This record gives sequence, C-alpha cells and structure tokens, in this order.
Amino acid sequence: MSSNSVVELKGSMYTFLSLKLHSGDLSAVNEALAEKVQQAPGFFSNTPIVVDLTAIEDKPDVDAKGLLAAIRDHKLVPIVASVHNRDGDLARDIDLPLVEARDRNTGNDTKPAAQASKKTSTESAESASDPVFDDDVASGDQTQNTGASVDSSKESAETGDGAADNNAGSDADREQSATGSHSMDPIDLAMSGAEVEYVVKRPKLVTRPVRSGQQVYARDTDLVVLGQIGAGAEIIADNNIHVYGPLRGRALCGVTGNSEARIFCQSLEAELVSVAGNFKVLEEIPEHLHGKPAQIWFSDDKLHIEPL
Amino acid sequence: MTKTIVVTSGKGGVGKTTTSASIATGLASRGFKTVVIDFDVGLRNLDLIMGCERRVVYDLVNLVNQEASLHQTLIKDKRVENLYILPASQTRDKDALTIEGIARVMHKLKKSEFDYIICDSPAGIEKGAKMALYFADEAIITTNPEVSSVRDSDRILGILQSESRRAKMNDDPVKEHLLITRYNPGRVQEGQMLSVDDIVELLAIPLLGIIPESPTVLDSSNAGKPVILDQTSLAGQAYSDAIDRLLGESKPHRFMEIEKKGFLKRLFG
Ligand SMILES: Nc1ncnc2c1ncn2[C@@H]1O[C@H](COP(=O)(O)OP(=O)(O)OP(=O)(O)O)[C@@H](O)[C@H]1O
Ligand SMILES: [Mg+2]
Repeated sequence: MSSNSVVELKGSMYTFLSLKLHSGDLSAVNEALAEKVQQAPGFFSNTPIVVDLTAIEDKPDVDAKGLLAAIRDHKLVPIVASVHNRDGDLARDIDLPLVEARDRNTGNDTKPAAQASKKTSTESAESASDPVFDDDVASGDQTQNTGASVDSSKESAETGDGAADNNAGSDADREQSATGSHSMDPIDLAMSGAEVEYVVKRPKLVTRPVRSGQQVYARDTDLVVLGQIGAGAEIIADNNIHVYGPLRGRALCGVTGNSEARIFCQSLEAELVSVAGNFKVLEEIPEHLHGKPAQIWFSDDKLHIEPL
Repeated sequence: MTKTIVVTSGKGGVGKTTTSASIATGLASRGFKTVVIDFDVGLRNLDLIMGCERRVVYDLVNLVNQEASLHQTLIKDKRVENLYILPASQTRDKDALTIEGIARVMHKLKKSEFDYIICDSPAGIEKGAKMALYFADEAIITTNPEVSSVRDSDRILGILQSESRRAKMNDDPVKEHLLITRYNPGRVQEGQMLSVDDIVELLAIPLLGIIPESPTVLDSSNAGKPVILDQTSLAGQAYSDAIDRLLGESKPHRFMEIEKKGFLKRLFG
C-alpha cells in the first residue's frame, strides 16, 4: 500500500470565523465576548477560530495568555493566530501556530489596513463602556455574512445598521461605522477565508432546463436557472432563487432558515413556492399572477407574491 | 460514423415501437445501413410490427451474454435493403441486460459499419429504459398530446441529460427531437388535447414531426409492415417528413389542421 492511500498531504482552503482583537484590555474583551456569544450560544460553541492580532500586536503589555484563556472560556477554539510580525512580543507569547496576515488591499485585508491607519481613534475608543459590534455573524446566518464580505466597505455600512438593533447606539456611532472610520469594539468577529475567493460564494448557475423529477440544490448560495423548471422538478437554495425560463415545478428558497431569501421568476406557474419553510401551492397563488414575472418573499409572518 | 438514436417516452403505449419501426425503415430506404434494436426485453413487440416474428432464433440477451454471434442474431429485412432487426427476448427480463454487455453489442455494430442504430425503448424510467438510452447520440422523444405524456417526456429528458453516456462522460449533450404522435386536430380544437404549440412550449425542444392519429397504423401493424411503407397513409407521409428533417432538411410541419373531408369521405365516414 502506498503511503498516499493511507494519508494524503495536500493544500486546501477552509473558511473560518476570525476573531479580531482591537483591544488588549482583558476585561473589555471578556465582556464583549460574553455578549457576542450569548447572542447565539449554539453557533459559537466549539467553533474553531482564527485569532487576528494584527491590531494589537504592537501594543505594549498585552496579556496574550490571558486573552487566549478568555477566548477559550467562551467555548471558542482558537486554532491559529494571525499577525503581521511573527517576531513581535505578542506573537512569541501566544501559544498558537502563527500565520502572517496579508497586506493586499482586497477583501478582508482592506479592513485591517483601514483600522491600522486609525490607530489613535481605536485607542481612544477602547475605554468605551458599551461596545458596538459591527458584524452580523451573531445572527447565526453564515450565508448572509459570507455574502456581505464581498465588499468590506459595504459590509461595514450594512453592519452599522445591524448594530443599531443590538444596541441603542447613538446616531453618531452609526455614522462613524458607516464610513468605516472607527473601531469602538474590543473585538470583531467575522467570517474570513484564507483566500478572498473562498469568501465570495458563487451562485449556482444552471443553463439547461430542470426536468420533471430532477432536483437542483444551491448550498449556501443563490441559484440562477436560465432554462425552464418542469412540473415535477424541484429547485432549492439556501439563498435567493432566480429563474429566467418558465417556473412550473417547485421552488424553495432559504431552506436552511434564511427568511430573507427571495424567489424571482419570469413566468410564475409554480406548483409550489416556499421561503424558509413558508409555502404556497399553485391554487393559492393569485390567478392574475399566473404566467407573469413575479417575486416571492417573506415578511410580517406572511408569504408575499407580487408582480415584478 | 455510426449514429445511435433512442426512441423513448417514459409513458407506455404512445407509439415508440411504431416510430422505431418506421424511422428505421425510412432511413434504410434512403440507403443508410440501419439496425433497429428491441430493448423491451420480456415484452417483445418490434418483430411483430416489422413482420419478422417467425424468423427469430437468437435475441439481444443471447448476444449480450455472448451465446450467439451478431451475424446469427441480426434478422435481415425482406423488403428493404440495408435494414436489420435485433429482436428482444420474450422469456427473460430486463435484468438480463448489462451496460458492459450492451457496450459490446454496440461496438460490434459499429465495426459492421452501420450508419444508424435505432433503439426502441421500453416504457417507464427503470433499468430497461435507461439501458436503451445510455448509448444514444440523439433521442426521439415520442409524446402524445396529453398532459401525462408530456410530463413523462419531461422526466425522460432529465434522465437523458443526466444518465446517458454522453452526460456521464461530459460529452456534447444528447440531441433531442420531439415527435408528437397520435395527434388529432379535431380533439385539440375541442380542447380535449394539448396543441402542438402547447407541447413545444412545455418541453422546449425542437419539433421533428407530427404524426396524426390514423387507423392505418393499426392496419399496418397487423400486417407486419411499418406504416412508413404505406405512402397513402397520412401517418406514413408524416414519418417520411420526419426522416427528411432528421437528415437535416427543413420542411414545414403538416397535419396540424383538421382534414377537410371530401364529398365521398363525408358520405362514407
Ligand atoms: N399515429 C397513430 N395512430 C393511431 N394509432 C397509433 C398511432 N401510433 C401508435 N398507435 C397505436 O398505439 C398503440 C401503441 O403503439 P406502440 O406499441 O408503438 O407504442 P409503444 O410506445 O411502443 O408502447 P409500449 O410502451 O407498450 O412499448 C398501438 O396499438 C398502435 O397501433
Ligand atoms: Mg413498444
């Protein structure tokens, strides 16, 4: 037996949650983590994370071991630390494998760069008693977050709004967050891939008709179908569904719970449409919409079907 | 280059065997060396329609199991030059077929320089139908103007594009042709049947032809003579048109309108 059939060594990419520390203050980090984790305990429990130290690695007197212990106390599992300088004090103190943060100005890397340049404001903000979180991972909705990471400036704009829900933060806070020019938070938790391409989950594109009896599933992403969906065919997506041919079969979007997912179609003749488990059958679809371009979404506990 | 064409439908009794017999006969009449294979193991039928049922010695299963040679198994048609029939077994079932076995048969046929291999599929979407379509380069989707038949055709199209050899090998997809059979314009007009436009819209594949519902089809079957050989029959003419289109000619579609009955026809029904 060749060694390759027993063990195989190869390069591969995974997406991990990254925890960025903006502050070295143990109690502030501890408090922020507690709040974050409490929003979705199941989601964070035993989740492997990359600890991003790039914002604090040059600060004096940071208790690396203490920070790591605090992270572990909250049931997160640090697996690697990301730093700019492998030989820095903090890098040497921390008991984790190190990876070097890239300085390319794309995707996730834009953010650290922007924050590094605002170092003074970061430091002055550290004492803020009420941390604002500028991400929406806590909703447990990975799909959305990976989508939002496509453009990090957009991400902070969107998440600025999200923060308002968690926290009655002042308008000024939000304003700042929207311009991406602040970092009030001791920590920042976001999905990040080893590579930017990995974070941008491409929609699943189907160019042929989906025939009766066939099933197509777009996992973690949008589904785009150019052909028709035959009666008795089923198309499923964790995110939105777009159909450019006649939709005659079943279309189910947001099947893993994303109730913000929508169905868009050119000709609505579907046997069944569903958003996050809320469905209607053809009989319940208003007659005047049959064969028309339409969108289907869920809000206020109701499935809405409207012309496009 | 040998072309393999499957005649399939999903639904039973829509006219696959009738079509296979006429398409094979039509191609052979135009000078192409053609074999038509009955894949309906256990429900042998094609030999009756081709009128060679009394000459069957060996069958497809014998050939697959290497119990007989190709030469021993092929039945040469007595009317049309270049036409051969490969009958099914009546005593075995579809489990007797294997992809490897059929691959061997196909290989032998190609080596014997056949231009066309026509595969008459059994009804359904089970093993027999999958075997019949596996090696197809093209498919004639035989559809009656009814909702259930159209639905089954859609289903078989999905299987064709996911389970054929071409799909599995990531080759160019199987070329699809729609053949609407047993078309009755009168009943379409009365709203009892789907129209040609409805069916083409629902299936969204190119239309090869429209074969009208015609009593001559049954007469021909009973006589063991493919209906395409009867050019006084509208169904026979429609199959000839379909052959022309299959060979790349573009011809306007006929038989979509209600036939205007002549005086004599009106008198005698
Ligand atoms: N154009 C037609 N007009 C009238 N009758 C037809 C026509 N085409 C087929 N039929 C009749 O329909 C019946 C079924 O035809 P055929 O055996 O060719 O169908 P099939 O699809 O091969 O059936 P199976 O699924 O059982 O193999 C036969 O009685 C045949 O004579
Ligand atoms: Mg048959």
